[in-house]
Amino acid sequence: MNGVLAIIRKELSHYFFAPMAYIVMSSFMLINGFVFYIILAAMSRAQSPPVSPMAILFGGTFFFWLVAIVMIPVITMRLGAEERKQGTIETLLTAPLSDFEIVAGKFSAAFLFYFFCWALTGVYALVLRAYGKIDWGPVLSGYLGVLLLGMFFVSIGIFSTMISKNQIVAAIVSFAILTMLMGTTLLTFIMSGAGKEVFAYSDLLGVMENFAKGVVDTRNVIFLLSGTALFVALSVKALEAKRWQ
Amino acid sequence: MIEARGLTKTYGPSRGVSDISFSVGKGEIVGFLGPNGAGKTTTMRLLTGYLYPNDGDAVIEEMSILEKPKEAKRLIGYLPENNPLYEDLKVREYLDFRARVKGIKGREIKKKMDYVAERCSIGDVLEKLVGSCSKGYKQRIGIADALINDPPLLILDEPTQGLDPAQIHHTRELIKSLISDHTIILSTHILSEVEAICTRALLIHNGRLQFDGTLDAMKAELACQGRVKLTLLCDAEKGTALLSAIASIEKFEADKGAARKGTAFSITPGDSADIREEIFWKCFDERIPILEMGIEKQSLEEAFLLLTREEELEENP
Repeated sequence: MNGVLAIIRKELSHYFFAPMAYIVMSSFMLINGFVFYIILAAMSRAQSPPVSPMAILFGGTFFFWLVAIVMIPVITMRLGAEERKQGTIETLLTAPLSDFEIVAGKFSAAFLFYFFCWALTGVYALVLRAYGKIDWGPVLSGYLGVLLLGMFFVSIGIFSTMISKNQIVAAIVSFAILTMLMGTTLLTFIMSGAGKEVFAYSDLLGVMENFAKGVVDTRNVIFLLSGTALFVALSVKALEAKRWQ
Repeated sequence: MIEARGLTKTYGPSRGVSDISFSVGKGEIVGFLGPNGAGKTTTMRLLTGYLYPNDGDAVIEEMSILEKPKEAKRLIGYLPENNPLYEDLKVREYLDFRARVKGIKGREIKKKMDYVAERCSIGDVLEKLVGSCSKGYKQRIGIADALINDPPLLILDEPTQGLDPAQIHHTRELIKSLISDHTIILSTHILSEVEAICTRALLIHNGRLQFDGTLDAMKAELACQGRVKLTLLCDAEKGTALLSAIASIEKFEADKGAARKGTAFSITPGDSADIREEIFWKCFDERIPILEMGIEKQSLEEAFLLLTREEELEENP
């Protein structure tokens, strides 16, 4: 456990002592700020439907997904690839740590950074609160969805970086997996029967829509958590495979 | 302390190590010797649990590196080949991280850090970035990392590689100072290093353990196989005729002017047998007095070359 905390500490301080974190955070806030402004401006027009602006922010726009599938490869790409490239993976794998602890440390650090970026958008809810009434239920469930989705996506990023020796390759691999995952939504249009049901279940857009509406469906929660568990397990296996090389 | 039991690792048809077995007792300092690419690094990686063997096991104080990896790894301080470090951390941060990863509690870290900083003389670079340190310092940082949780066993893979002579001297002195508290296995392809530091040598070549014993034993084993120096009280022609008649001599040459009296010969035996007796009886039959006969003392360097050359001959007849 101490080892996991040590890795989290090191990786987080690496994020915040390098310009990377600030570039990612400011880009993230810039895009989300812009989107939030557009949402507010559009909704203040008389004919717009009575939907919470936060609900649209959580997965309701193209930008949400674009940011997610670009940002997560960027924050995870260094974590494993750099260790392999520098050879420091050897010091890590010969330390008294299990492979799971190494993956857990790296995963947690990237997830906490992702969490921190989203925590900054809490300001938007406070802005809304200052100028009108706000229903906190859907806001909280929306954040829950964002975090669960983040766990799933971060686990994919970690897996990609654990199998790569080059940061750029790691980023491209996770970007490709995330894009394909988003693409499965499209399969529901061309499939029928059981296949359609399976892919409807893994429809990320639908999943996020539920959370944003304030619906916490256990099926959605289990889907995101099991996806996370799968890619964490694959990452552990990827590390172990290194020892058999 | 540590025991390798038939460690085998294959990377495809030719590379890797096969059936490496040895055991190192407490307080020993063992030199792991072999030409580049012989399998030293692979063996060390198997001992430290970085790689899993295809067959065999490494056991550290009764604990198998495969069955109880965490407990076993806690007993090993490892300096990998090329000494990989996080270049973008300060030395203090790096050692702090490594100490925590190795399970040292927060309040003990300062004590441990002061100890290794003093021991490895890196106190003056603690606040510098690892990447900006010289190679000699980096090497000492790597050793400090290996020492930070005070493990009973140190495994150092080519600790003096790529250093300048002064740095090599410092690193050797540092390793020597650790002998009293730690069991040490170090690898090198430089023989003088083993002669300078170690009490025992393991020679590995083409992935196999060729020799295991003290340095003296290694020299002694080779002592009877060396060239024979012979001085006969006769002229060169007579001596040549006599030596040509001995079948077990591979080649010889007359060393004119080497002896003040008689003729000196330098004789290479055909196989590893001691041919001195045969030469004596031959000379006795021919009534040629032997003025001098002995086996040339070999340096460890020659012994090393001889051992590794023999292996090559066996493999490529």
